[in-house]
This record gives sequence, C-alpha cells and structure tokens, in this order.
Amino acid sequence: MSRQAQRNGALGAAIAVFSSLRLTVVLLGLCMILIFSATLLQVELGIHEVQLRYFRAWIGWFDVVPGSARFAVPFPGGMTLGSLLMVNLLAAHIRRFSLRWEKAGLILVHTGIVLMLLGELFTAVLSEESQMRLSEGKTANFSVSPREIELALSCPDDDGSLRVSAIPLSRLKDGAEFPFEGFRLRIVRFFHNSEIEKAEAAGASFDPLRADRGKGARLAVREKHRETAMDRRDLTSAFVEISLPDGTPIGRWLLANALAGGEGFEVNGRPWEMAIRQRRFYHPFSIRLLDFTHERYLGTQIPKNFSSRIRLLNPEHGEDRETLIYMNHPLRYGGLTFYQAGFENDDTTSILQVVRNPAWTMPYFSCAMVGFGLLWIFSQHLIRAIARRRPTVDA
Amino acid sequence: MKSPARFISWLIPAVCLIALAAWSWHAMQPAPGAFNSDDFGTLPVVSNGRVQPLASLARNQLLAIQGKQSIPGENPPSSPAGWLAELAFKPQVADKRPIFQIHHDEVLGQFKFSQQDGKSYSFIQLVPRLGDLAGEVTRIASKDSQTWSPYEKALMKLWRNLGNYQQLKFAIAHPESGGLEADLTLLLAKAREAQAEGAKRARGEPADAALIDAAEARMQVLTEWSTQTEVFTAPPSIGGSDSEWHKLPDAAIEATERGTLDPSTLAFARMGDAWRSGDAAKFNSTLAAHLGWLEKHRPENLRKARAEAAFNRLAPFYACMAIYGIAFLGALISWLGFGTVLRNAAFRVLLIGLAIHTLGLIVRMTLEGRPPVTNLYSSAIFIGWGAIVLSLSLELFYKNAIGTAVASITGFATLIIAHHLSLSGDTLEMMRAVLDTNFWLATHVVIITLGYSATFLAGAIAIFYIIRRCFGRVPSTAAASMRGMVYGVICFATLASFVGTVLGGIWADQSWGRFWGWDPKENGALLIVIWNAMILHARWGGMIKERGLMVMAVFGNIVTSWSWFGTNMLGIGLHSYGFTDSAFFWLTAFALSQLLIMAIGSAQHHPKNNPALPAL
Repeated sequence: MSRQAQRNGALGAAIAVFSSLRLTVVLLGLCMILIFSATLLQVELGIHEVQLRYFRAWIGWFDVVPGSARFAVPFPGGMTLGSLLMVNLLAAHIRRFSLRWEKAGLILVHTGIVLMLLGELFTAVLSEESQMRLSEGKTANFSVSPREIELALSCPDDDGSLRVSAIPLSRLKDGAEFPFEGFRLRIVRFFHNSEIEKAEAAGASFDPLRADRGKGARLAVREKHRETAMDRRDLTSAFVEISLPDGTPIGRWLLANALAGGEGFEVNGRPWEMAIRQRRFYHPFSIRLLDFTHERYLGTQIPKNFSSRIRLLNPEHGEDRETLIYMNHPLRYGGLTFYQAGFENDDTTSILQVVRNPAWTMPYFSCAMVGFGLLWIFSQHLIRAIARRRPTVDA
Repeated sequence: MKSPARFISWLIPAVCLIALAAWSWHAMQPAPGAFNSDDFGTLPVVSNGRVQPLASLARNQLLAIQGKQSIPGENPPSSPAGWLAELAFKPQVADKRPIFQIHHDEVLGQFKFSQQDGKSYSFIQLVPRLGDLAGEVTRIASKDSQTWSPYEKALMKLWRNLGNYQQLKFAIAHPESGGLEADLTLLLAKAREAQAEGAKRARGEPADAALIDAAEARMQVLTEWSTQTEVFTAPPSIGGSDSEWHKLPDAAIEATERGTLDPSTLAFARMGDAWRSGDAAKFNSTLAAHLGWLEKHRPENLRKARAEAAFNRLAPFYACMAIYGIAFLGALISWLGFGTVLRNAAFRVLLIGLAIHTLGLIVRMTLEGRPPVTNLYSSAIFIGWGAIVLSLSLELFYKNAIGTAVASITGFATLIIAHHLSLSGDTLEMMRAVLDTNFWLATHVVIITLGYSATFLAGAIAIFYIIRRCFGRVPSTAAASMRGMVYGVICFATLASFVGTVLGGIWADQSWGRFWGWDPKENGALLIVIWNAMILHARWGGMIKERGLMVMAVFGNIVTSWSWFGTNMLGIGLHSYGFTDSAFFWLTAFALSQLLIMAIGSAQHHPKNNPALPAL
C-alpha cells in the first residue's frame, strides 16, 4: 500500500487512507463509543435532546465529569461519522472495484448500507411528525406538532372565513417585530420554557414584566430549562405588544400555550385573535373519531388493544368512508401515516400520531439487500470451508 | 471403535435417559396426604389476564414472595396448590408460616425487628405494624418509582407481596366465613324473601324492613369481597370467551337473581368447608365432580390448565440444566483421555438435553399460542437453545468436543439466568397491546435473539481458547478449528443481528411511525451489529490474527449482555420492561470477568502458524 501511495503522491495517499479497512474499523469503533455514551446520557437529557445533540450533530460535546457542565470535550457526532463511513465505503469500492460474482454480495451489502444511511438522512431532513387529538364524535382537519409551537393571529375575512397567519418558532425572539395590516406586533420577552404563577405569589426570581391586558394581566413568568422527558412539553410563553403603525400602543398581553384560548383585540374595527399554540399542519381532508376502544386483559391494567374507528372525509375526491386504526395497523393516506399513539379523557379522546416520511420505504429495500448480500457472502465462506474440510474427513 | 468403548459411549446417555424417566415419574407422583391437592391444582381460573391452573397461581406467588416453591413451617403442604388451599380455607394456619423475606435493615426496623430475629416472617408477625406503615407506603407511592431508594424499593416490594398474599386469600373463599356453602345458600334464600318484601313495600303494603336491611348488608359484604381479589373463578357457559369469567363473589351476586349458585362457586364453597372440617372424602368427591363438569363445559380451559400444571411439575428446564452439566463434564474429560468414547457420549447426552429443551419450548409456545420469545425469561431460554443448536452444527463439522462443551456450558448458564428471571412471577404473562403481534415476535424477536445466541457462542468459544492457551500451546489443528468456529459464528451473528435489528426498525415504523428512534434497546442492538462488523473488517484487513479475533470475540459478550439487560436498566424509552436490581450487580461482575479474560488473552504470546484470512 505504501509503495503505491508514494507513486501517486499526496492524492494517492489520501485515497489510500480513505479507502483503508483500518479507517473503517476506527470509525466503527468511534460509532460504538458515541452510541454507548449518548445512550447513557439519555437518562439525563432525554431521547429527543440526545438525538439532536449527538446523533444528528457534526460534533457532540461530552462533559468530562458527568452532570457538571464545567469542562466538555468534543467528539465526532453522528453526521461526521456517518459521512466519513460513507466516504470510506465509496473510496474502497471505487479503488478495488471489479465486477465479479464473488464481489456481488459485498457490493449488495454496502449498497444496502448506503441506502439505509441515506434513508436516515432523508428522514431527518424531510419527515414531519405531528399529532391529532380527537374526541369521540369530533372532526379535525389539522394535526399539531408535539414539540414545536407557533404564534398564530387570525381575523375573519369579509366572506366570513377565518384568515390565519402563523409566526414560526424560529422567528420568535426578544425584540422581534412583525408588521400586520393596520398594526405592529412586538415580542417583548420570549420564554422557550417557563413557569407561570399568580403575580402576588411570584417571588423575586420571576420576570418583573407584566401584561396590562387580557387573562395574563395578573400573572408572572419565570424562565425554565427545556423539558427533556419524552412525555413532557415545554410551557412556552411570551409578552407581546400591539401598537398602531404610528407607534401608539394598544396594549401588552401575555400569551402561552398553557393558557387555553387566545387573546382578542380590535384594530380598525376588525376583531383579531392571537395565541401561542402547538404548530398546526392543515390537511386537505378531515377525520372524525367515531369510537375509541381501550381493551384491557381481564382483571389487570395490561392493555390488550387500542383502536380508533374513524370516518375519513375528503370532499375533493368524494371520499367518505370508515376505517379502523389500531396497534401495528396504521392508516396510510394522502402521503401521511396515522398511528394509534395514545388516549386521554377517560378513554374518550384518541391521540393519533401523524407522520409524513417520503423515505419510509428505503429501510425495507436496504434490509433486503443487506440480508441477501450477507447470506451470499457467508454461504461462499461456508462452501469454501466445507470444500477445504472434505479431504480430511475422507482420510 | 472397539465394542466396549462403543458400549460406554451409549451407556452414559442411556443412564441419563433412565434418570430422567425416574425424575419425571417422581414428579408426577401424587402428593402425600388425604386431600387430592394435585387435581385441585389443575382447576382453571383467570388471573393476570390469562387462564391458568390454581397451581401456577400458587407457585408464582410463592416464587415472587420468597423466591422458592417449598413451604416453611410445621406440617407444610406438599405442593404450592396445597398451600393455596390452606391459605384460602385455613388462613389462620397459613398466616403462621414464615414465608415473607425481609433483608433490608431499615425495613426490618419499620417492623421493630433486627437482623437477630432472622429474615423470614409470617403474616401474623407482620400484621400489627401494617396500619402504621400505610402512610409511609402512600408517601413512597407518590414518588416516581425511578427515584426510590433501596429501602423504599424493598418496602414497596414487601407491601406488594403482602397485598398479593391477601388477594389470594379472598380468591376462592372468604376468610371470615365458617361455612361458605351454608352462608351462600342462606344468602340466596334470604335474597328471595327480601325481594318479596321489597315488592310489598313498593306496593305500599307493610314489609319486613329488618329482612330487607339484612339482605342488603349481605350483598354489601359480597361487593366488598369482590374488590379484595383479582382472581376470576367462575367460567362463562359453553362457548363464552375467556374475558367473560367472573370473580367468586360476583358470581354469587349474580346467583341471587337466578336463585341458584353456579357449579364452580358451589364447588369451591363445598371444597372449602370439607377442607376446614378435615373431610377428605367429601373434598375429593366434590373436586372430581367439578372436574367432570369442567370437562364437559370448558374442555379447552381444563386441558390447558392441566398441561400447564404438569409442565410446572415436570420442570423440564431444570432437568436440562443437570443434563447439560453432565455433557459438559463428559466433553471436558474427553480432552484428558478416552477421547472418542467420551466425546460421543457427551454429544449424545447433549442431544437428550436439547430434545427436552426443545420440547419445553414447544410446550410453552403452545400454552401461550405465541412464538418462543415473549419476555426476558423466555429470551434466556431461547438464547440458550439457539446457542446449542448452532454449536451442535459446529460439533458435527469439527468433531472435537469443543462444540459440545461450549453448547452445554452456554445452555447451563442461560438456564440459570432464566431461573432467576422466573422468580419475578408469571413467565407466561399476556403481551401488551403493541407486542400483541405474532408476526413480528416470530421474525424480529426470534432473529435478534439468535443474534444474541451467536455472539455469546463466539465469545464462549473464544474463552475456551484463551483458557486452553493458559495450559500451553494449542495444537495447530485445534487452534485452526477454533479460529474457524469463532469466525463462522461471528459471520452468522452479524447476519442475524443485522437483519433482526432492521426488522425491529420496520416494526417500529409500522407501530410508532419511525424506523429508528435511538431508543436504548435499539442502540444496544446496533452496538452488537457494529461490533461484529468491526471484528470482521479487522480480520479481513489483517489488523487482528488469531489472538485478536479471540479477544475481540470475548468483548462481544459484554456488548451483548449490555444490549440484553443493561439497556433495560436505564428505565427510559419504549423497550424498558421487566428487570430486577440485582441484575445490575451481576451484569457488572460479568463484564469485569470478561475484561479479565480479555486481558489474559492479550497477554498471551502470539501463536505462530497463523495465516490471515484472505481479504474479500
């Protein structure tokens, strides 16, 4: 290898390094360290946060003394290791490429793995997860993001329909200003996660800012660390100010996803509503929950089955049909998949997980490819071993 | 092979078979005593969501409470079913048996005991302090169970056991009823009279208020009784589904409307009275009559309950442990001398063990109506089985007793682990909703478990190699065959763990809408795949040779045990189910022992005569 490297100069040396099995082994070893350490960190940070900080990051920072954030060391994250493995794999195949039957298995396995890594990448970039909460008898045409919030403003149009504008989470920052028809909205203070308390009971650690209008006028807010547990949500809140274009203030409100219902105000005789709520995804069809059932095994609390009998309504296609969503049997419709995810309100509200993932079939292909490829390779080994063995058995 | 040698190689397995037959014969002998507690134990009831024999209910409860099936105290009943009968029908006797184990100092302190008083206590000894402890239990229960201290865990476990013990008392009898049949007959008669009086009152005629009040008070007792047990004793009529069983008190309440008791309630009441009065003949004849009724009306339930009760008594996996022990010794000694004879004998003994192991697995699968792996316990049984089947094929190929030795020791070890896991209670429990899919249990779970088997097997062969090298140079043929075995098994492990892991991803995509969620159990499985892939790539790249291969294969044991047990200990994610704290100690001890073996393996001189495998 080294002689070849000298011959081809620096480029050859680089190719030799990038295509070497040694690099593969080192990268796989680093993957193991990353996965193991990050798994342990899930206890403290939660699965979601660890995914963002280590697996879907280029560099992950690990505290030297667990729990104390005083000194952290960088470690290649999932993106770095995945990309390097991909480069390593491609380089090795390009350098040693030859189309022979013995190589077919190897090529199949590695193509399958590349497909799987790409599938994960596409999923990370393209997939959208949301939830649909439906009470029995109720219909909905939107699902909400379990983690992301938005600031929505709505106002009835002249034709009676509701016009909604939503400001995404990424633009909600202290001091941000948004112009609307006839007024301006300014975020005075934004709290990603917060605690809300009655103003008279709030201690010194609470923000001194108060609202002068609406339901939040007697409440105080304090910043909190973001939630890490899978089953808990951030309580996001913000103080917003509405003023006329000339700067005349109309009022200051406290908005929060925990405060039910929005806040209303009037500008130029038009009633506006605003609220911080979970981000909504609207669909061109609607779903009505007919019945939710939650069966338990006799005499126990062990769940036997959850199922939602729903009616799918799509006026555009003239569709109006009944179907059942239950454990391990999702509904795939309109590029979305609806899964039975949970329930609340004494078994009368069903929670459906709604996933849009255009890359969902990729793991199926890659699994088949890698499986067959490995079988191919190992049966070759086995046949060779038996062939080697035979003479001694006969002797 | 000479004929005496050939004779011996058949004699040893034959002796094992005879011993097994004797063991089974002994296990199926009727228990001593005039009361037929064996047949009593086959009566089907519904508990923990499934139809099971009373014997299983009793056995699992004893295991959960005291970790063993034998019953302490004076004149102990000869079987768990006998103990259950005693607990229900003569609680004042059962309450004196010291079956509750208290090891934790602070829990002992709560009961005003100390280590000098011993570790085993009876219900009677504990009951005076229970009232005072209720507050402490409520306090602990309000906390997240993840944050419980060892003392809190120990107290809560004891409290749970006491609760289950009490529930069992109310399952088939009421402790305060001296003659249940008479009480229930009176209940029905008085309920009818009270109905007549009630009708009079409704018509505005004078009615016997005391009679109505007394009947209502009796019904109140039954309603309360119903909240004190979760065991369902009264089967529905022919064709009714298993979810329509009733608890004994509920069946009695229903009987007041009909005017007659249902056969099972009447049978339990009569058996209880007979037991209390020491009338074995009446007990046995009532029991026989009721079994006859069940045979006619619930044949499916009775058949299943009988099969499970017999399976528990035969305890095939315990027999397997002994057989594997003998096979291991045989293989070990075959290396010291009498090579072929003992090797063949050990191989045949192993086959007997495998046959029983397989049979046990099949019976469990039939009882549950499920693929082999449904919980941690059955995964241990199946990992052992998979490792044995794999190493048997190695033995057929290499014929050097290494396969037999590794198979038997792996089988033995996994069955011991299974035994300890079984102490947590019912091993045939029902599957939670998301797991209720035979397709994925049969594919993902079985394949990934085979991956565990193979990785452990490679590690076990490697340990053999390292230990063998402590005693001097390994002959090149033996070294070559072990190298071949480890390599081949790692190839299989890579295939099984990869396909199993990805199938798990596909299942997750089907049920939760994501292929990969970085859940600890998923990560654990991925670690096994990566580690095996790493060994293969290191070998192909010539980075490791024989010694390196062996040392890395041993580390596979740590990776696999982490994935199998360690990830469940984190208590997060969708896969965090069933596990005990003591497992943490054993996992750590196991990992350390493997590291020690790796250190020894690395320190050994590099063997000569070790060609690298051709790179692919």
